[in-house]
Amino acid sequence: MKRVIFGLIVFFVLFVFVFPIFWIYITSLKQSQDIFYLSFTKLFYFTPTLDNFHHLFTKTPFFHEILNTSIISVISTVLVMLVSLPAAYSFARFNTGYGHLLFTTISTRMFPAVVAAIPFFVAYKLAGWLDTHIGLILLYVYFNMSFAVFLLYGYFREIPAELENAAMLDGYNRLQVIRKIVFPLIKSGVAITTVFCLVFAWNEFLFAFLFTRTHARTVSVGISAFWGSIEIQWGPMAAGAGLAILPTLVAAWFMQRYIIRGLTFGAVKG
Amino acid sequence: MDGKVEALTFDTQDAPFEGKRSLMEILLDEKYFKWILITPLLLVLLVFMIYPLFYCLFYSFHKYDMVRQPVMVGFSKYRMVLHDSAFWGALGNTIYILVLSIGCELIIGMAVAILFNRKFKGQDITRGFCLLPLLISPLAMSMIWNFMLQYDFGVLNQCLYALGIGKIMWWSPKMAINTIVFISIWQWAPFSIFVLLAGLRGLPRDPFEAASVDGARPLYIFRRLTLPMLSPLIVIIVLLRTMWLIRIFDPLYGTTRGGVNTETLDWMLYRVSFVYFDIGAGSALAVISLYMTILVCAVMFRVLMKSIERTSQNAAM
Repeated sequence: MKRVIFGLIVFFVLFVFVFPIFWIYITSLKQSQDIFYLSFTKLFYFTPTLDNFHHLFTKTPFFHEILNTSIISVISTVLVMLVSLPAAYSFARFNTGYGHLLFTTISTRMFPAVVAAIPFFVAYKLAGWLDTHIGLILLYVYFNMSFAVFLLYGYFREIPAELENAAMLDGYNRLQVIRKIVFPLIKSGVAITTVFCLVFAWNEFLFAFLFTRTHARTVSVGISAFWGSIEIQWGPMAAGAGLAILPTLVAAWFMQRYIIRGLTFGAVKG
Repeated sequence: MDGKVEALTFDTQDAPFEGKRSLMEILLDEKYFKWILITPLLLVLLVFMIYPLFYCLFYSFHKYDMVRQPVMVGFSKYRMVLHDSAFWGALGNTIYILVLSIGCELIIGMAVAILFNRKFKGQDITRGFCLLPLLISPLAMSMIWNFMLQYDFGVLNQCLYALGIGKIMWWSPKMAINTIVFISIWQWAPFSIFVLLAGLRGLPRDPFEAASVDGARPLYIFRRLTLPMLSPLIVIIVLLRTMWLIRIFDPLYGTTRGGVNTETLDWMLYRVSFVYFDIGAGSALAVISLYMTILVCAVMFRVLMKSIERTSQNAAM
């Protein structure tokens, strides 16, 4: 009896978290008259159709947006890792800046993104970088950098300094130590940080919304555009959202052991 | 490997003062090497942090609309913002969202964490599904919730109606801010759940066994043992969630767009700077908002650093 109640409660918790995601995909298969039908029966019993997906790929630049988002997230993530890996190592091993510099880095996360958007909007307008990939990529480097530095910092801290010192006594120089000792130990940390940066760049909305119009428009902006001036096109919106969140769902499923650690900047091991 | 290092090594004659050391070795010396590693970061910080900061400080004393020449106006933009009832409304809304959302997340998180803190069939799958909301785009999710909470045809209202409870006006001026809090709780409750669950799993056994041998009641054990031992984790949850929620923007764009009494600080910043193009007032608002948040950030940083020290010590042991 106790086990049955326990099972029911667990099922309820699962249902609460999964149902909205499930509902996206249900809605994306509905015709618009079924979406607006005011009766309980049509909620689950309806004739599935792929019209919404057809609309998505023929009447809106959805494919173009997905392509943009992929390009922008991948390139920005590579740049973020190039900047933050050496910096995080320096912070962790040499305590560079005695914590003040690390604090400055993390505080960029507190700087209101809307505020950073004003100066950059003006600067980009002058440089002709509005609605370009390069403009958005640079903003995402800024957006993800503090997170990546801090997360990697935690991973580097886990490698005991004695290990590196011992290798240096054995005649390795610093670069060899990094390549042969540090890198193999940090590999999983780098992979996890990379996936996080990809997901954050993929989901980012505010910068994309303010800085892109058509050419470099990302998928988040595309989804928000289904809310037009007259009506909200729920069906195509659900289809677009369903496809857009698919990669992040896959990431969440495969990263489940590391999500908590990542989101707490390494402070809690989930 | 060795060949590559040879190629990178410069002739020792380039560095006569260092005796036998090559330039490569000098660069790898800890004194210089740590700064070389950090240079790219410093460059990015310089461009992406110092520039906006000074830009905002500068223009917060000006009247500027991105078209006409900026005019120096002293502190009048600050006065304007602080006398604007919309500012206090936005501040109030932000604090309301913070307190209600984090409070509920902690309670739900604790309850579900205690529920999950045992071995049961399918616990891995349960964890996998419960963690899904965390990485979904907040914008896409808020639009879906907007759809599911529509008055007439929203699935939740239809279910409530079928159950005989009656439909709820989710987006009425009184209710809308609570609905936004509800959406944010839905997305972030798994975070609290699994942070606290990690804490529960890591608790030492002995004090709990001793307490139950002494005949302490479960509630008493929870209050006197579990809660104090989990308090560092609770602090982390509160601080991180504060950091994220204080900047809440995407869920507003997908639902109310700042209407029906739901304007938050960041939404007001957006409205003032990008709808009214009042760069002066936007900058003043930004500086005020920054002062408030940097305080939270300073506290958060201390606590996070302490817990990272702890985990890295554990790993070293």
